[in-house]
Amino acid sequence: MLKYILKRVVQMVPTVIGVVLLTFILFNVVGGDLAAIALGKKVSLQSLETFDEERGLNKPLFFGTRSTTRAYEDQDLSENAGRWSGWSNAVYSSETASVAIKPNATIDPLAFSLDPQDEFEWKIAYRGSGTLAGRELASEGWKTETVRFRGAEAGGFVAGPDGIEIKKLKLRKVVKNPFDSQLWFYVKQLARGDMGYSEGLKQPVSKLLKDGVLPSLSLTIPIFFIGVVVSVSLSLICAFFRDTFIDRFLVMVSVALMSINYLVYIVAGQYFLAYRQGLFPVWGYESARYLILPVIIGVVSGLGANIRFYRTVMLDEMYKDYVRTAFAKGVAKPRVLFVHVLKNAMIPIITNVVMLIPFLYTGSLLLESFFGIPGLGYLSINALLSSDVDVIRAIVLIGAILFVICNLLTDICYALVDPRVKLK
Amino acid sequence: MWGDAWRRLSKNRLAMVCLGLVAFFTLLAVYGEIVCRYHEARDITPFYQKTNLEMAFQPPGGVHWMGTDALGRDVMARLIQGVTIAYKVGIITSLIAIPIGVFFGCIAGYFGGKVDDFVVWLYSTFASMPGLLFILAIAMVVGRGLLGIYLGIGLTTWVGICRLIRGEVIKHKGQTYVQAAQALGLGDGRIIFKHILPNVMHVIIVTFTLRFPAAVGTEVFLSFIGIGVQDQPSWGLMINSARMRLWQGMWWEMTFVTLAVFLLVLAFNLLGDALRDALDPRLND
Repeated sequence: MLKYILKRVVQMVPTVIGVVLLTFILFNVVGGDLAAIALGKKVSLQSLETFDEERGLNKPLFFGTRSTTRAYEDQDLSENAGRWSGWSNAVYSSETASVAIKPNATIDPLAFSLDPQDEFEWKIAYRGSGTLAGRELASEGWKTETVRFRGAEAGGFVAGPDGIEIKKLKLRKVVKNPFDSQLWFYVKQLARGDMGYSEGLKQPVSKLLKDGVLPSLSLTIPIFFIGVVVSVSLSLICAFFRDTFIDRFLVMVSVALMSINYLVYIVAGQYFLAYRQGLFPVWGYESARYLILPVIIGVVSGLGANIRFYRTVMLDEMYKDYVRTAFAKGVAKPRVLFVHVLKNAMIPIITNVVMLIPFLYTGSLLLESFFGIPGLGYLSINALLSSDVDVIRAIVLIGAILFVICNLLTDICYALVDPRVKLK
Repeated sequence: MWGDAWRRLSKNRLAMVCLGLVAFFTLLAVYGEIVCRYHEARDITPFYQKTNLEMAFQPPGGVHWMGTDALGRDVMARLIQGVTIAYKVGIITSLIAIPIGVFFGCIAGYFGGKVDDFVVWLYSTFASMPGLLFILAIAMVVGRGLLGIYLGIGLTTWVGICRLIRGEVIKHKGQTYVQAAQALGLGDGRIIFKHILPNVMHVIIVTFTLRFPAAVGTEVFLSFIGIGVQDQPSWGLMINSARMRLWQGMWWEMTFVTLAVFLLVLAFNLLGDALRDALDPRLND
């Protein structure tokens, strides 16, 4: 048994790596400019750079010796002047796709002062003469040159007596350790158990998660238990009255329940039961009474799909030989159903139930925000609407890892119940 | 096979009613798309977007069969545009998810070994992600609007079909017709896509019918919370605006929109079930 458990734990590792990689790819690679998503476009380049620095976003993605910096963002001069239109002593010409700096003028294209510890590199295609970051540049025709300088030095231009023309200009930070990438930063952060910092709520994400767990669980655990008991009982009724009016009626009802949109349950429940009839409080999280309506809605909305699933499980069992044997030797129908069939149907039921556990943690997105329950679902919706990247990433990641762990637990339970599983 | 399935399906009266309903919704969707394109091409504000504050909150009656909303727009016209959006989401997300799922399922089932290990790893990683939140995260990263919805739903829902197809292909791989094709020296790609794929087509059709309503439901949800459709008349947006009005007694927008969503989803769900029974005779023993 221990060997089997160890084997399954080892098999879990690639999936965990996959989950970490997938969240990394989604947010860091596909996400592009996370700072702009989180902070909006109307903030200074300096604060965007600080955001990047805190989250390691100014490093290369996987591997690299150079990384970009927001102090001077790449500008394709063949398209437009970009930031160069802001300086009066630089003239942009779209014909030659270049910028000419007037004779003896001084221009510092850096948006903010660089970190004095780091080393930077200008890549420039120019003609004319002048200095860049203190290095002399002089050439009759177009010439490409690389200028290295430290963050502590002045990085700007001083044009020579004839001025200098620039065709291409790029600023890169020199990365000391090429393996010091965003991915490595992310892995290190996770290894420390650091979930990041919520920019919108000005709190560490781990604290937000800790505060939200209890309200979420107080809503999802009752939904979970009541839901399982009600739907398993109803599916047993279906199996008991198979192919009669009751069975067909329940199947129709469960398809209809499945087809009603989740939103409708909430809106209608809140309007009719809480507002019109006044049976329950409309909004808030003060006592157990506030939870009754959301729990009812949660149970009912999940009922359709669950009844259908458990009914299929029961009917699958009903065709097996041992059931026929039991009937043949004269066991009464209720006993066959509730003792023999239910016991064997427990395996798929438990699998289904255990796989629901991760969702207990992430809470119910809509129920919580509609009824004002300050759980993780409420937190997620607000984080989505305010583009709070760190919060979303943490909840997605934790949800996924819980799922993997529950998967492992089901397999172990399976092996405990059914010794044949270990052989596969 | 298809003839038999059709005969079985046409005996099922409920399924035929659903098929009729689906055809009706499809017509509405096509009509909505034509109206939308027509107004776009001539660059005029379509009638379903025209606001008329004097006509706001008219209950259902002669001119406006389903009443008007807060800005005096006709609810029925907007409802029909909502069908178009729902169909776009259902179809485009299928066009993203099904090819991915079928491709990976086929190669995993056919080649086995390392390829299979890779595909199983890939889909168990995707399956581990918390469903709705993952879709929401993708939509957030891609940006608000229809594109985010398409990618969010499309890139997360291919796992189910990938599993099914993989299982089917493994079953078919051992069969004589595949061995015969291999003995003739046909290429692997040809065997997979010309010989095996047509035999597992029914799985794809049933999956399409059953994932369509799920995608529509998710779109309604995303648009409702403000991450999805922004300025077109989507059902989710209509439910969101009608929700507050409901408390003031304007019941019509809410009622008709939820009824439309319910009918569309129900028709597809029942049709999908009937199709599965008709196409997969092993299930009805």
